Amino acid sequence: MHGPAGTESRTDPHWRDGPWQKAGQRLTAHRPAAAGLTVLAALMLAVAAGLVAGGGPVGAALAAGHQSLSFTLLAGLGGAALGLLWAAAAVALGERAERAMMAPAAALTGLPLALALPLVGGLLGPQRGLAPMVMVAALIAAPAVAVIARDELRALLRREFLSAAQAAGIPNGRRLRRHILPNAVLPLAAAAWTALPRALMAESLASLLGLGLPAGVTGWGTAIGAAARAGDAVALAGPALLLALTLWALHGVGDGMRLAFATAFSTTAGGRR
Amino acid sequence: MSGADVIGPDDRSPLRVEGLSLLTSRDILLDRLSFAVEPGEVLALSGAAGAGKTLLLRALSGLAPKGVTVLGDIHIQGRRILVTQDGALDPLRTIGAQFTELLAHQSGMDERTALRCAAEALERFQVPAAARRLALHPHELGEAMRWRAALALAMAAEPALLLADAPAAALDPTQRVRLLSDLAAWTREAGTALLLAGRPQPDPIQADPVPSGLADRRLILAQGRLEAPEEEPTPAPPPVEPAPSGPPILSVRDLRVAFPLGRSWRGAERWLTVVDGLSIALAEGETLALLGETGSGKSVLARAILRLVPPVGGQVSWLGTDLAAAPPEAMRRARGDLQILFPDPLAAFDPLMTIGAQFAETLESLRPSRSTAQSAAQSTADRAARLAEALEEVGLPAAVLDLHPGSLRPAEAARAGLARALLPEPRLLVCDEPAATLDGSERADFLALLQAIRRRRRLALLYATQDAAEGLGIARRALVLLLGRIVESADSVVLATGARHPYSRALIAAAGLDRPALHGDPPSPLRPPTGCPLRLRCPLAHDGCAQVPPTLDPVAPGHRVACHVAQDSAQEDGKAP
Repeated sequence: MHGPAGTESRTDPHWRDGPWQKAGQRLTAHRPAAAGLTVLAALMLAVAAGLVAGGGPVGAALAAGHQSLSFTLLAGLGGAALGLLWAAAAVALGERAERAMMAPAAALTGLPLALALPLVGGLLGPQRGLAPMVMVAALIAAPAVAVIARDELRALLRREFLSAAQAAGIPNGRRLRRHILPNAVLPLAAAAWTALPRALMAESLASLLGLGLPAGVTGWGTAIGAAARAGDAVALAGPALLLALTLWALHGVGDGMRLAFATAFSTTAGGRR
Repeated sequence: MSGADVIGPDDRSPLRVEGLSLLTSRDILLDRLSFAVEPGEVLALSGAAGAGKTLLLRALSGLAPKGVTVLGDIHIQGRRILVTQDGALDPLRTIGAQFTELLAHQSGMDERTALRCAAEALERFQVPAAARRLALHPHELGEAMRWRAALALAMAAEPALLLADAPAAALDPTQRVRLLSDLAAWTREAGTALLLAGRPQPDPIQADPVPSGLADRRLILAQGRLEAPEEEPTPAPPPVEPAPSGPPILSVRDLRVAFPLGRSWRGAERWLTVVDGLSIALAEGETLALLGETGSGKSVLARAILRLVPPVGGQVSWLGTDLAAAPPEAMRRARGDLQILFPDPLAAFDPLMTIGAQFAETLESLRPSRSTAQSAAQSTADRAARLAEALEEVGLPAAVLDLHPGSLRPAEAARAGLARALLPEPRLLVCDEPAATLDGSERADFLALLQAIRRRRRLALLYATQDAAEGLGIARRALVLLLGRIVESADSVVLATGARHPYSRALIAAAGLDRPALHGDPPSPLRPPTGCPLRLRCPLAHDGCAQVPPTLDPVAPGHRVACHVAQDSAQEDGKAP
């Protein structure tokens, strides 16, 4: 100790920032994440603008993006919610239930679940509605979210500050509200994010085969499939590029969130121990 | 691997450094260092974390990182070898293959000679059945064995200069100090210059590597410069405190802590017993050290007393209340009297709350204010003053209250953790290696502060540590733990000079950086040996030790030992007039 804290010159100009700011700084410091966030924001704006302006191959690709992104958002949020519930219930119900609940989740993540969506699409036939497809896509995304979220929750429950709270006599309910839930937000957000690219991927694959979005709703996959069958390279390029860009951006942001948040608040000094 | 400037034939120093500076475009990392190491000399290089020890060793072996400019002269005669911090061995090849390749490359040895040479090298570190281990891959060896192999591999190449960067830092002190002593003996015999970097663990509060004979010379790296170690005045012995009397405030009887490991294939429940029937008693204001290494159960015992880990049997009673069966309200009252310091103080704070908010939460939970609505403002002001006072007592400014834990340095976090523990005005402070994250002077300062506060407040202290010197310096009485049982219990003064149990002796020797007499590696807690748990490592073990586990029996007033050999010799002493 040399003098009081705060009066010394510290090399890091942001040392006083709160933990949330620091997490944000770590996320934007990860280049693919920063670029991915920019790309996603730009895409949203472009899709909104394309809906207003319309017209031409670019307008068509953007309009298809509207359908794809809406589907992704719905299915992704559903899958994330399902996965988080799954993990939270497993951790809350005790060790035996946890093992019983997580074993199928771990087994399912190993399967090529994306193939289930065109399968269901085919079974439901051309008259299928949008809602069952969203639900199946959500189910496809959920197991991976559950596995990651369970690991994060387990790691969180082992953290020393919870023992410290117990030593301070803080009752369990308050410990959950004041300490566990706030600290779970960011790691669980990182886990939940993985549902988005998964849902988009599954939807595009199914739509490409003509077994995804119902007839009359044109997503990127549908547009690519139609252009490929017609042999129209110009019509293919737009949606294919946008789809690739979106997937890349989603994965970039997901990577950044995992790196920035999963170990987000481990304040342990990086010494060798 | 060998690189050298040819210099005068009469200068035989394997390493001579003159005016070495390392610069980046912004900073001076190391500033004009000059030193030399003679053949057969052991030079210990210490310094706080981030002082540049690793960087210096990398520069000396010609591996300075990109963007670092090296100025000045490095003269190296003969072969130099760097053993990095992780003691890296090739994970895909057997130990033997790595020896053969290195020796064939360095000295053109054929395979059979190389393997014989390798086995001899491993035997220098007392590796049993060395020839058989050569067929193993690094991941099949334990951490300690991997380090022995890495150092033996380096020495088998007969270097003129061996640079070892914090070797075996993760091992327990008794293993680590023995390994380093063996290495130093070998380099002295072979005439190899050895540069040992890294803080010698246990910390050089009292353990200076030079007087113990581990190293010949010590250099300290601080602020990019080399400093000769200053003569530290021997600390005045702490004032002898009268033995606290009166009934015990804390008494632990037959405490057992075990964790379920699931079922075996036959359906039998398997348990890992961590604390096995321990009994201790602590009077008001008494200090007790728990000494032991990894797996001794000291940390779990500390937590089980506060019911942070549920015990499976036994009794912990605080002022006559059995804590294991206490209802929540009584437990909360007891928690106000019993506080704990955690090994990583930074991790013990919630990263999302400011220090002040966490202090207020602790205070509100353990010492709730019973104020009426009219004086609410008054009590809030009181509270703020009380938090600032708590920080002042540990030497931190009140501004720390507004910071989040992520903004604190380890030393500040340790003090903030102490301030939080003192807030409810406890009567017993349980410390679980509270200074484990601190180095050098920061550590000494923190321990001095802890001692001063303990005396002022007449706190009872339970201090768990693996550093015998630290524990014996702080506490009046000490217990030595091995695999969840007490193996020796005595006053610190008695234990420091006349420990009877071989394990206690080894711990105390390691704390002074003397070569401990225990050989081999600790047994697995899942399959402890029959009889005495130490017998496989003990130099005194005889056949009887495998038969019956020794019980903790008195050998002198206030001195109890669980060792057949020590008990026998005590009896003989007693018979002899």
